[in-house]
Amino acid sequence: MAKETDASLMGMSRANYMRLLAFFLAPAVIVYSVFSIYPLLATIFNSLYLRQTDGSYIFNGVGNFGTLLTDTTWSVSFWNAMKNNFIFFLIHMCVQNPIGIALAALLSLPQLKFRAAYRTLIFMPTMLSVVIIGFTWQLILSPLWGISKMLLQSVGLGALFAPWLGQESTALITVSLISVWQFVGIPMILIYTALLAIPDELVDAATVDGLNQFQTFFFVKLPLIIPAIGLVSVLTFVNNFNAFDLIYAMKGALAGPNYSSDIMGTLFYRTFFGNQLQLGDASMGSTIATMMFLIILVGVMVYLFVIQRRIQRYSF
Amino acid sequence: MSEVKIEKLCKSYGPIDVLKDIDLTVEDGSFVVLVGPSGCGKSTLLRSIAGLEPVTSGTINIGGKQVNDLPPAQREIAMVFQSYALYPHKNVYDNMAFGLKFARTPKAEIDQRVSEAARILQLEPLLKRRPRELSGGQRQRVAIGRAIVRKPQVFLFDEPLSNLDAALRINTRVEIAKLHRLLKATIVYVTHDQVEAMTLADKIVVMNAGRVEQTGRPLDLYYRPANKFVAGFIGSPAMNFIDATVAKKDYLEFGSGVNLSLPLPKSCKVGERVTLGIRPEHIQFGARAKIQLDGKIDIIERLGEIGYAHVALPNGQTIVAQVNGEPNVGNGQTVSLALSSQQIHIFGEDGTTLTA
Repeated sequence: MAKETDASLMGMSRANYMRLLAFFLAPAVIVYSVFSIYPLLATIFNSLYLRQTDGSYIFNGVGNFGTLLTDTTWSVSFWNAMKNNFIFFLIHMCVQNPIGIALAALLSLPQLKFRAAYRTLIFMPTMLSVVIIGFTWQLILSPLWGISKMLLQSVGLGALFAPWLGQESTALITVSLISVWQFVGIPMILIYTALLAIPDELVDAATVDGLNQFQTFFFVKLPLIIPAIGLVSVLTFVNNFNAFDLIYAMKGALAGPNYSSDIMGTLFYRTFFGNQLQLGDASMGSTIATMMFLIILVGVMVYLFVIQRRIQRYSF
Repeated sequence: MSEVKIEKLCKSYGPIDVLKDIDLTVEDGSFVVLVGPSGCGKSTLLRSIAGLEPVTSGTINIGGKQVNDLPPAQREIAMVFQSYALYPHKNVYDNMAFGLKFARTPKAEIDQRVSEAARILQLEPLLKRRPRELSGGQRQRVAIGRAIVRKPQVFLFDEPLSNLDAALRINTRVEIAKLHRLLKATIVYVTHDQVEAMTLADKIVVMNAGRVEQTGRPLDLYYRPANKFVAGFIGSPAMNFIDATVAKKDYLEFGSGVNLSLPLPKSCKVGERVTLGIRPEHIQFGARAKIQLDGKIDIIERLGEIGYAHVALPNGQTIVAQVNGEPNVGNGQTVSLALSSQQIHIFGEDGTTLTA
């Protein structure tokens, strides 16, 4: 037994071995602690305190969470942001991911030419700054000088045009679709990679079995890329509930009109840092941030323990 | 009649010709093996028959019907792939039934065909398993089962044994031979392994660089190779080739004073450069004989019942001779090699045989 221990120490004294371990582990431990673990713990800690009118803080247990969920001063905006965030997520799930899958399927067609060009072009918006995306789309959709009105009129559909970003009923959907446009490259690339891993002989076998390309995709390839689709879904969920930047860039911190495009990220920003007449409140801000953390945690746990366990993985 | 007839088949990828003017007839019920080194076009030819590769020109007939423009599923073929290509998300039963379902075969008939195939291949206890729960040999049998249930005119096998380990490969080889007899099926089988080709085939097609080098029964290819390529490809270890010049009638000079007097084909002209070919198993050790070469043993590989002696001739060339039993010879020893005159092949400068 002693001999085995010696071997695992690679011939070093125990102290030296420990120093070596520390040397290799330290960078990761330090970076994670300072930039992930400490802020997370500090946020949860903050959320347990209440801000007094004189600016001091007193311990309030989980009282802030009660206030957030039930006191109408807070709960109306919270549930509004929550509802909007789910709509934001559902639009991504129902529009971005199916389109991503379809684009990946098209990209993997063997007859396709200029594959690399399409791939790069579709992925391009993802690499652009959200500020640029937001500003560009605001210009495109502007009722005053936007090109979209003109384009619709030129094909005789001018009546369809509306100031989509300015109406309560359409602002959130419009921003969501712009985000879909920007990020559709990510599911596309992930699914495309998964499709490439499917051996050609399997597709040949399906061809010999009499399946056309559509049938091969739906009955052979799609079942095999379910794990990648699951991964894309959970990434979408995490990204959407952490989203903030596009809405901030296009609609400002107030996420107008009348909070109709307000999601958890913008609500948190206004609450924590303050906005216009609203004073910043670190404890309520932290409460909202903790709620976001919990929502994502629950979502990811459901994925890991309920969905992922039922997904069959295939090696080829 | 499920005869496959291929005429003037050409296939090019841009400027590269992979198949050049292939003519081939696979008779009804026969087992034809396409064999050749990697990149010789044998797999491309098989995939062209299957319809997985479009051809550039020429015709393919299966069962008397031209199938050039038919998709694979309508060619009445079934294919067994090298990697088996089983659907990983379907169990054994569904893997076999999948194609039939798409062909709208009635459920009862699917059941009947699958259980028939499962019985022949002894897959009955495995029908509910997924491919990953099967061993390599079992997967192989499922792949064959998937072919059988289609009741095709022609079975196409693409190197089906190369993913199996050596012992299983021999077993499965025998299984495939039995299956061929049982089903009386027409089979086109691609392999790079000449042992598989020799043991399984009614007819071997040796391919090289997109051309058919020779077609014939296994032993015909072994005893009467049409050219140097076939002579070197069929047989293991490969045939010995010694370059020579016809010095005078029935007399070969190998250089460095190594000469041989032997009956040469009539078409050999004096002064012509030729190659003498002789298989290791047709060289006798030690005995004094009419056609005899002397050399020094470089090394002996002993395999048990036989061995292979690498013998260096005075002109620097090495030839391999089979030694039977455990002859009392060792490295560095000078020996005489007797060449069996019936088994000597003479190839002309372009590689074609001159031996009638």
